[in-house]
Amino acid sequence: MKNIYHLVIKDINRFLNDRRAVILTFIVPIILIIIFGNIFGGSGGVRGKAEILLVNESKSVVAKLLESKLDSSKALRTVKTYTAENGKDTLMFDEETAKEWVRTGRISAAVVMPKDFFTDTSSAIKIKFYYDPKNEIESNIIQGNLQQTIFTQIPRMMPILMQRKAANYLGSDSAKRFLKGMGKIAHEYFGVSPDSFYNRLTRIDSASLFSSSADTSSETNIMSNLVRFDSEQLVGKKITNPGLTRSVGGWAMMFLLFSLTGAATSIFEERNEGTLKRLLCMPITRSDILWSKYIYSMLLGMIQLLVMFVFAWVFFGVEIFSNFGNLLIVIIASAAAAVSFGMLITSISKTYSQANGISTLLILVMSALGGSWFPTSFLPGWMQVISKGTLTYWSMEGFLQVLWRHSSFAGIALNVLVLLSIAVLINFYALIRFRRGII
Amino acid sequence: MLRISHIIKNFENVNALQNVSLTINKGEFFGLLGPNGAGKSTLMNIIIGYLEADSGQISFNDQIISSSNISLRKKFGYVPQEVSLYLELSAHQNLRIFGKFYDFSAKELENKIEEVLELVQLKDRKKDPVKEYSGGMKRRLNLAASLLHDPEILLCDEPTVGVDPQSRNAIFDMLNVLNKAGKTILYTTHYMEEAERLCSRLAIIDNGNIIAQGSLIDLINLLNQKDTIKIQKTTFTQNKLALLKDMGRVSESDFYLELIPKESYDRNSKIFAKLEEIGIQNEFVQISRATLEDVFLNLTGRSLRD
Repeated sequence: MKNIYHLVIKDINRFLNDRRAVILTFIVPIILIIIFGNIFGGSGGVRGKAEILLVNESKSVVAKLLESKLDSSKALRTVKTYTAENGKDTLMFDEETAKEWVRTGRISAAVVMPKDFFTDTSSAIKIKFYYDPKNEIESNIIQGNLQQTIFTQIPRMMPILMQRKAANYLGSDSAKRFLKGMGKIAHEYFGVSPDSFYNRLTRIDSASLFSSSADTSSETNIMSNLVRFDSEQLVGKKITNPGLTRSVGGWAMMFLLFSLTGAATSIFEERNEGTLKRLLCMPITRSDILWSKYIYSMLLGMIQLLVMFVFAWVFFGVEIFSNFGNLLIVIIASAAAAVSFGMLITSISKTYSQANGISTLLILVMSALGGSWFPTSFLPGWMQVISKGTLTYWSMEGFLQVLWRHSSFAGIALNVLVLLSIAVLINFYALIRFRRGII
Repeated sequence: MLRISHIIKNFENVNALQNVSLTINKGEFFGLLGPNGAGKSTLMNIIIGYLEADSGQISFNDQIISSSNISLRKKFGYVPQEVSLYLELSAHQNLRIFGKFYDFSAKELENKIEEVLELVQLKDRKKDPVKEYSGGMKRRLNLAASLLHDPEILLCDEPTVGVDPQSRNAIFDMLNVLNKAGKTILYTTHYMEEAERLCSRLAIIDNGNIIAQGSLIDLINLLNQKDTIKIQKTTFTQNKLALLKDMGRVSESDFYLELIPKESYDRNSKIFAKLEEIGIQNEFVQISRATLEDVFLNLTGRSLRD
């Protein structure tokens, strides 16, 4: 027993001295639990809200009601204004601008309550919904929440909507006469004022509409014929394999990071095997070696991404050739940023195993935060901010712009600029450290 | 040829080299002998440009070696301690990769590769992956890779660590051939037998300091005594102990009496004559010659293997 005890202690000591094993065993799962826990609301904190653009062009009190309900939704965050090009003025969205924002990927969905949302003669309310299902789950969540918010409010307007439906069917004079007659009957049997009875049936009581006391859940199912919900997918309608088109970039990027970090950290292997020393004794500079690693990793990364996309095209019909030039640009920028990430890991690590541990941690976290596994809109607000600091995010968005939205270069320029900036800055830092012999 | 002047190199908590100065002349087989951690490899790493010295300078043929003067490295051939080869590639592929960094035409490089493979007797196995080679073969290829460009000086950093005696002898023979052909060799080792066998001149390094340098005879002469006489203990020799003590200092171990003769007995013939005179037979006597180990012990108070 004593021997077993000592052997167990020996293994514990060895484990605790292996920083990589400790990181992989505890730190990585803890970080992933934090991320997923926040997504699924396990922490009890504020969950991430899906952003939705809201345009209310109607003056109707019903539209006002829906707007206020959408504003206070726990699952949706409404956006109603934007900053004008002069950078000073704040403008309200109109329908066309909203559609443009969805089309260009700046937001996933827009709800428009048009001028004729609910006129005096409407028998149904009219809502327009524009969406970009680049992230299917996100899109479904937005639609689900939107419809739930709308339908739970509709029962309060049911009497008026049903009367308007009847008026449309019978003609307004006949309907009016019928209601007046009903008022007389009510007066006769219940002593109610006929005018008051008529008004209750034909006017909208805004106070009761905004009250939250009414229980409307059981009536929701029959409401759908009282709402004209015109939804239009603005982007990706022609995509043959939308599921894979959305996710191929994310998975490709995650594995690119793994393979290129491996390629960059092979400097450690060369150091351990002594070949680095042999090379440095030859008429070769340290910078030559670093650049050679960079170029090799770039080529490897570009080929890896191309192979993945071609594979997705051959086997799953992901359309890569209709915007191939821009796809190549994003591939190059992504590979450059991924290589620089590998160089950064190499430059801050002292050993191969340390580099391996750090890179595994960072790649998994970046993939989770950057959108490789699920839409970033699922994340809490503060995580969405961090997400934009990951190269995975910019790369993912770039691939979506190209494959999903078929953007022109202007559409991917920001992504490419950010990725290349990351590459340049990190490589500059790594080059300095390598020249000083730190690597 | 190679002049090392006042090199100082410190790591975090270690003074690896403390004001090291050496000169290696053209055609010399110069040994740098010292225990593990003495600073041999650090000095070698600074010479080849892998590390930078904190201060001091190294020049080769009066040209200062620096990171900006990389063309000077063409004159160096470096044989590292490790097998510094791409193991998944063949010997030929390895040599082609390393040879590409020198100014050879394609044909010249091929000829050079054949030449060095012939020298290290690996021509027949040149297409096999290096990972399939024995340890000795890998070491020979390690040497071949350093000779491709016909360097003026060969820098060997403990090239026989972990090598079997047969391969070690083969490497020694090759190095001797090269030195006889005029190649200058700087050879670091912690094996005093290697240093004694190969080197025409030596420096002993310990704790980052050169504590002695010169030819083997110069270094042995630093010792007060040259040889030790070991006499197997028998009843008879025990009786002669007093007479032995007249000849010099005697110490006892379990099986031997160890005699360090006085100055007047520094010639072996005299010692044997005197031993015979007092009746100790030659078959019970063994002369232990002074070695670099003794020199190191004498200078540092420690064994080379400590």
